Amino acid sequence: MTPAWTLISAFAGALLVLLLPARFAGWARLIALAASIIGAVAAAAACLTKLQHPDAAVWSFDREWIHDLGIRFHLAANGLSLTLLLLTGLVAIAGVLFSWNITLRPRAFFAFFMTIIGGVYGVFLSRDAFLLFLFYETVILPKYMLIAVWGSTNREYGAMKLTLYSIGSSALILIGLVVAYAAAGGTSFDLDYLASFKYAPSLQSWAFPILFLGFAVLAGIWPFHTWAPTGHVAAPTAASMLLAGVVMKLGAYGALCVAMPIFPQGFVEWRLVIAGLAVVGIIYGALTALTQKDLKFVIGYSSVSHMGFILLGMATATHWGLRGAMLQMISHGIVAGLLFGIAGRVVYERTHTRDLTELQAFDLWRTLPGAAIAFTLATAASMGLPGFSGFVAEIFVGIGVWQSDPWLILPVAVGIIVTGAFSLRAMHRAFFPVRKPTAEAATMLPPLTWPEISAIALLITFSAAIGLYPMPWVTLIDDGLRSPLFHSILSLP
Amino acid sequence: MNYPALFVQLLPEGLLVITALLLLGVAVATEAKTKRPLAIDVTVAISALGIAVACAALYYCPFRPESGTSLLVMDPLARVFKAVVLMLGLLAVLMPPARHEIAQPGEFHALLLFALTGLLLAVGTDHLLFLFVALELASLSLYLLAGFSRTAKAAEASLKYFLFGGVSAAFFLFGLSLLYGFCHTLTLPAMAAALDAGPLPPFAVAGLLMVVVGLGFKLAAAPFHYWAPDVYQGAPATSVGLIAAASKAAGVVVVVRLLLVGFEAAAGSAVWGGMKPGWALWLGVLSAVSMVFGNVLALAQTSVRRLLAYSAVANTGYVLVALAANGATSAAAALFYVVVYGLATFGALAITAAVERDRGDDSMHSFAGLVHRSPLQAVALLVFLTSLAGVPPLAGFVGKFAMFGAAMAESTSQGIPGLTWLVGLAAIMSAISLYYYLMVLKQAFVREAADSAPVAMPASHRLAVLVPAVLLVALGLFPAVLLSPLTQALLATLRGL
Repeated sequence: MTPAWTLISAFAGALLVLLLPARFAGWARLIALAASIIGAVAAAAACLTKLQHPDAAVWSFDREWIHDLGIRFHLAANGLSLTLLLLTGLVAIAGVLFSWNITLRPRAFFAFFMTIIGGVYGVFLSRDAFLLFLFYETVILPKYMLIAVWGSTNREYGAMKLTLYSIGSSALILIGLVVAYAAAGGTSFDLDYLASFKYAPSLQSWAFPILFLGFAVLAGIWPFHTWAPTGHVAAPTAASMLLAGVVMKLGAYGALCVAMPIFPQGFVEWRLVIAGLAVVGIIYGALTALTQKDLKFVIGYSSVSHMGFILLGMATATHWGLRGAMLQMISHGIVAGLLFGIAGRVVYERTHTRDLTELQAFDLWRTLPGAAIAFTLATAASMGLPGFSGFVAEIFVGIGVWQSDPWLILPVAVGIIVTGAFSLRAMHRAFFPVRKPTAEAATMLPPLTWPEISAIALLITFSAAIGLYPMPWVTLIDDGLRSPLFHSILSLP
Repeated sequence: MNYPALFVQLLPEGLLVITALLLLGVAVATEAKTKRPLAIDVTVAISALGIAVACAALYYCPFRPESGTSLLVMDPLARVFKAVVLMLGLLAVLMPPARHEIAQPGEFHALLLFALTGLLLAVGTDHLLFLFVALELASLSLYLLAGFSRTAKAAEASLKYFLFGGVSAAFFLFGLSLLYGFCHTLTLPAMAAALDAGPLPPFAVAGLLMVVVGLGFKLAAAPFHYWAPDVYQGAPATSVGLIAAASKAAGVVVVVRLLLVGFEAAAGSAVWGGMKPGWALWLGVLSAVSMVFGNVLALAQTSVRRLLAYSAVANTGYVLVALAANGATSAAAALFYVVVYGLATFGALAITAAVERDRGDDSMHSFAGLVHRSPLQAVALLVFLTSLAGVPPLAGFVGKFAMFGAAMAESTSQGIPGLTWLVGLAAIMSAISLYYYLMVLKQAFVREAADSAPVAMPASHRLAVLVPAVLLVALGLFPAVLLSPLTQALLATLRGL
């Protein structure tokens, strides 16, 4: 199975679900699950093959597409994109499982869901800037629809805000890409070609921030992060998982694999600004999460904080930093998906509240022990405790920071401490109440269903696997970082 | 002069005129006999047949570029756009006004065919006077079509359109006469040669400016757009469809032919830091004003027709970005986009017309819950509006990307792109536009309907919705099918001079 099956399965799944006759609407979730599993298996198989044959080229597909503009339909994968494909596949499976009980227009729901998944796969596979941008933009409208139709709190506002931020940042990306294309002769959108072209330094110093900011907004860079908490809270569970889990990674991936390689000198010039914003994001996100009343808002702001680590890792311009950024993408993708799944689906569907004070009345530790255990594990992973993926990623980023700008390690340490504080606070308030619950509220809630258990188990397993044995992932990521794209960045002082 | 060959070349236009006359004759005859106007289905059938035959004539007649004169040019560009205009006109015919809206369907469709004839002639001529006559034939027919439903709003629309159009025609003609005074010729190749000879005297520059202003009126570029909202709102949907799609496509071809091909020497430059007066700079300014005006004013609209009018102004701005770059690939991308834009805006109008007939007005609230009432229409609306907003995988996305990319590439010298200011503005404005398109889609997809009765739509009307929707998806996935021939055609035209 080539990685192409990720893309094919997602879009074919979307189409199939859409064409389903009304009386088979119940099959939509089965089709979506099958398509997600095919995608994840294809990605996993490609990862394993790559690990066994590290020197073999993975796979590529290259056809002429729009000749007059030098645009090719060029898909290919390296180790780095394979890890992200696998992450997407995992989050897709978990997302479908956590939406098992969707009854409102399920066909449309799963069609939009699979379209987002397909778009994300497409971005990770594209080797042509136009194609990448096309897939990137494909995701925007389904996101709006998922939130506006199936969302909860303030859904129309959250959906519109998120969409406007997305499309605004896309405009910046469009400008940046078109500048790169035109300045390189206007003959090709090939990413490797654009990355190998030597742009004038004066051009790089203004074009880089445009292109980078375009991607970084979607990665939740402070102060352009406000769409993320509102959007994630308004979204239905599966969409929150996708948004925080993989869609934000699109921004980080674009910043790392498009903006930085194309304008490396511009990147060096702006490196410290990015690092500064990233550190502010880490601390600001964590402090804000500390004061939230809504469990989903806590997770939303924790995403801002965690995404800050990714941006910081990139801004170090060191091998360790980039490795850490990549690992953090994968780690946060899994953990954020897990947290949103538990808070939005497992807890909310049973208690109909996400308010940390009101949740105390339910005494969830006794009435819903499964969720409490899962959330505790997820919190541990999110805080970056050893044994989970977040630990490895944050250590790597820390090493990178130490190598490039040692003084930045202090604010990062503060951020890590505050992260521990807000994680423990949220977990404690939501699941382990201090005061005695009222008698009538503390009846047993329905236990976890099998889709919930399997989704939780899948994600926790992967987070722990990365935390305990990160080597395969590091090997794959290093394969990607060895590509010529990063030569001009990693050879820098 | 080879008259038989000329006759063959004029066959599509001739067939349209014959059909129109036939239509008038039949209408008069039946009305005299039965005391009732001709049934609308019959006039639709006759005019659709006429256009189809004209299309066939265009396709099957031997293509001999050398047999053309400057009055009737038969280059690939003309051929492609005659086909485009005929197709967009056919779509308009397939979406006829309702029985109670117009009293004489025979005359209505005859005028529509005359307008198409004018547009076809305008697309394929190098002679300025002939161009003016062709545009006037189209415009006069369109003024009448705009007011055909005889309501107060339609009358206002028609009058405004006529007054603005008349002024613009005067500007255009006066500008041409000044240019004639400098060049002593009215054919474009000869004018190009004369303009190449040396710097323009002030009165010729003024003439060129007047020509640009006149064309700006035709294309609804801000600040010459004031007729557009009222016409879009008041005129019958069929007429608006024709004005928004076919007439705009022809208008852009005229601009390309006149400015890029004929007056290339007087282009000047809109490049940042190296601006030189000339039509490229003026188009750049018009483009910036149109994008800002159109998009900002569209944000405030509640009537979907008015919204589409302001969106038309904004889209003219995007097209002018590509034209201001003054290059072959960017102009080809502009031509591609104007076709795609025509399809999308026509489709959106067609659905608006159906909803308006059903609900009695075209406000956004009339669209509430469309997805529950008529799912296919809602999906088609999604395709049209998101294509206008430039969302992939639809053709509008490729079109905008191609225009902006090519405009930037054409304006690059020594590794520095010169039109970043304009393309950047266009990209940001295009992002803003998604907001107002989403406001309509939000009603259709998110809000609940008061009742779930489907929106009625006659069969031919459905075809007029289906065809653009399918084409937008197909052209989005395989844009080279249209973009490559347009680029080749444009290069051939440029080489021909």
